[in-house]
Amino acid sequence: MTPVIQTRGLAKRYRRVRALSDCTITVPEGRISALIGPNGAGKTTLLRLLAGLARPTAGQMAVLGGTPRQDPAFLAGIGYLAQEIPLYKRFTAEDHIGIGAHLNPRWDAASARDRLRSLSIPLDRAVGRLSGGQRAQVALTLTLAKRPRLLLLDEPVAALDPLARRNFLATLAAAVADGGLTVVLSSHLLADLERVADHLILLAASRVQLCGDIDALLAEHHVLVGPRKDTTAIEKTRTVVQAVRTARQTTLLVRGNAPVIDPDWESDEVGLEEMVLGYMGQDTPPPIAHLTTVGEDQ
Amino acid sequence: MTWLVWRQHRIQLLIGAAILAVFAVLLLVTGLQMASQWHSALVACTATHSCGDQGGLFLGNRAVGFLVIMTLGAPVLAGLFWGAPLVAAELETGTSQFAWMQSITRRRWLAIKAGWMLLAAAVWGGVISALVTWWSGPNNALHLDAFNPGRFDIMGLVPVAYALFAMALGIAAGTLLRRTLPALAITLAGFIAVRAVIALWLRPHYMSAVTVFYKVTAGYTPRGSYWQLAQGILGPDGRAISTDTVGPVIAGVPATYLPASCAPPNAGAGPIAPSCARALARFHGFVTYQPAGRYWTFQGIETGIFVALAAILLTVTAVVLLRRDA
Amino acid sequence: MISFRVDGRSVVPPYLQIVQQVRQALRMGLLDAGDRLPAVREVVAATAVNPNTVLKAYRDLEREGLIEARPGHGTFVLKRPPGPPPGTHSRLGRSLARWVRQAREAGLDDESIESLLRVTLHAAAEEEEIA
Repeated sequence: MTPVIQTRGLAKRYRRVRALSDCTITVPEGRISALIGPNGAGKTTLLRLLAGLARPTAGQMAVLGGTPRQDPAFLAGIGYLAQEIPLYKRFTAEDHIGIGAHLNPRWDAASARDRLRSLSIPLDRAVGRLSGGQRAQVALTLTLAKRPRLLLLDEPVAALDPLARRNFLATLAAAVADGGLTVVLSSHLLADLERVADHLILLAASRVQLCGDIDALLAEHHVLVGPRKDTTAIEKTRTVVQAVRTARQTTLLVRGNAPVIDPDWESDEVGLEEMVLGYMGQDTPPPIAHLTTVGEDQ
Repeated sequence: MTWLVWRQHRIQLLIGAAILAVFAVLLLVTGLQMASQWHSALVACTATHSCGDQGGLFLGNRAVGFLVIMTLGAPVLAGLFWGAPLVAAELETGTSQFAWMQSITRRRWLAIKAGWMLLAAAVWGGVISALVTWWSGPNNALHLDAFNPGRFDIMGLVPVAYALFAMALGIAAGTLLRRTLPALAITLAGFIAVRAVIALWLRPHYMSAVTVFYKVTAGYTPRGSYWQLAQGILGPDGRAISTDTVGPVIAGVPATYLPASCAPPNAGAGPIAPSCARALARFHGFVTYQPAGRYWTFQGIETGIFVALAAILLTVTAVVLLRRDA
Repeated sequence: MISFRVDGRSVVPPYLQIVQQVRQALRMGLLDAGDRLPAVREVVAATAVNPNTVLKAYRDLEREGLIEARPGHGTFVLKRPPGPPPGTHSRLGRSLARWVRQAREAGLDDESIESLLRVTLHAAAEEEEIA
């Protein structure tokens, strides 16, 4: 199956600022991919490039089988939700549904109205007078009504309360369960992402640090705890992502599956948060011969 | 997309239509009055053969007359209220992004949005111009000043072109600056600057002006609503003389240039003394003007210029909008 | 119909929580052979977990022979997991509750109770091995 997203060496530069460098990722179909990274790492830039809202300064990408372009067929397949959730403030939700019906080839107005009614969001109130959470739900509903094949969401739940967040993610996951939809979702809230995502793209310092199915990535990483001592032997067989040394103890986050022979080291499984935080502290990706993306044949 | 353009701009368009309606009522009512006034005056003067002497007749309502003069500024209103916010407001609020993610290409979005609103601007300019042109019929016949700056600009075809230009300028400014308020300022300043430069420095030269020399004793007035660009008196050496004097003037020539035989009480009463006539024969008057027959040619040329400017601005707008990051 | 609860903060992975909840419901008699399990979509809409998580749980249960997916009709329970009947569970659960009350009165906190339970299970496992 062709991946929904495939990029190679993607880069974006604004005047003197390098917003994204050498970004190579693959997102298979049907995934809910979590786009994680510190502020300024390039998450918004990457999403905008994938949606065709910005043009890269270098590199190639294939989204839904082609380069993002000004073409109704391509635009119909992509749903993009910006952080600021731009809707026409004076128009009601019903008005927006009407706009969508006029502008999109595939439009499921009935399900949009059903969804909003089930969330108790009034269809006839000006969107500018709805709460932040309700607006986010309206925006997501409109994006889903378009029946896209790929959904790109830029921190859509940042301003929502926990219940609204839960509803939002549940709606999203249910839409993916219906089939034919892939989601890339950027967020700071690891707890939410851990639940709903099965694929991970980790950006730090405008570069891709990790990209792959979460289960496979977690299986590849371990935490080694041992006394403070020389680690060169370990470094030969594995990539050390992060090393924390105190006076008496060394803690290593490593990637690689070679067994640990040295009895001094205790090996532990690593959770998503620990793995992500280990990479986010880096300025450059850890030095290895190649960085494979995992799970692309699943 | 057309439906969306209507939904977004219907209040603007309805306000415009309302203003046009009020304006139309005012002009129709007073215009009909003026037309009948003029007709009666014509009938009266034809009977007494005094139609050449109607300069003192005043036609129409002063307030409406003032309003008509103010329509000089009507075209730019389209650019300010409709043009500047057209793209800029959507870029500011981000709703352009929403629209562009609705399976509509940016090109189509801009083309339909700008297309309809340019048409609206043309209608705005055209309706006002049609009303003003009709209303000014009697005044034009009376004063023969339709070709003069100030009157040329508010009648005929040019107001439509000005409105299109103002609209295109507003759209372009809004697109390039991405903010409505600066776009408003640029639109207003740009419109005034371009209009002033073209009207004052370009228009006189659309075609080579005609210069006619005539004997000062004969006098000469071009026919119809001509546009006078310059006039004066040339002395015996062929150079213009200053007619800006306080003292007496004979056939336009200041007495200081003429022999005593021209001085009053001889001048004006009875035949001119031969020596005075000889002296006067060495002076020639000239008038440089654009003939009345060229009125519509000039309207066409100026319309063409402003439509071309609008087209350039719209092309720039499209190129920038389509190539720039959203 | 069973409704699932997925605790994001638990050390147990979400898919395993679903598997365990189905098994527990079967043991307790809340689910019986022939009952329909909620569709993947319904579980996802209720718990906000990834659809693959639910799919994985249902696949595991299918492999164990506890449930069966019938295309076009849904997923249905085949049989209970081996073990004592539901009645036994409730009975043992009640005696356990009594014991816990006693332990509390004696001054044991949750952590001590849990560690006592673990030690006892461990000892019992060793006994079974020897036997």
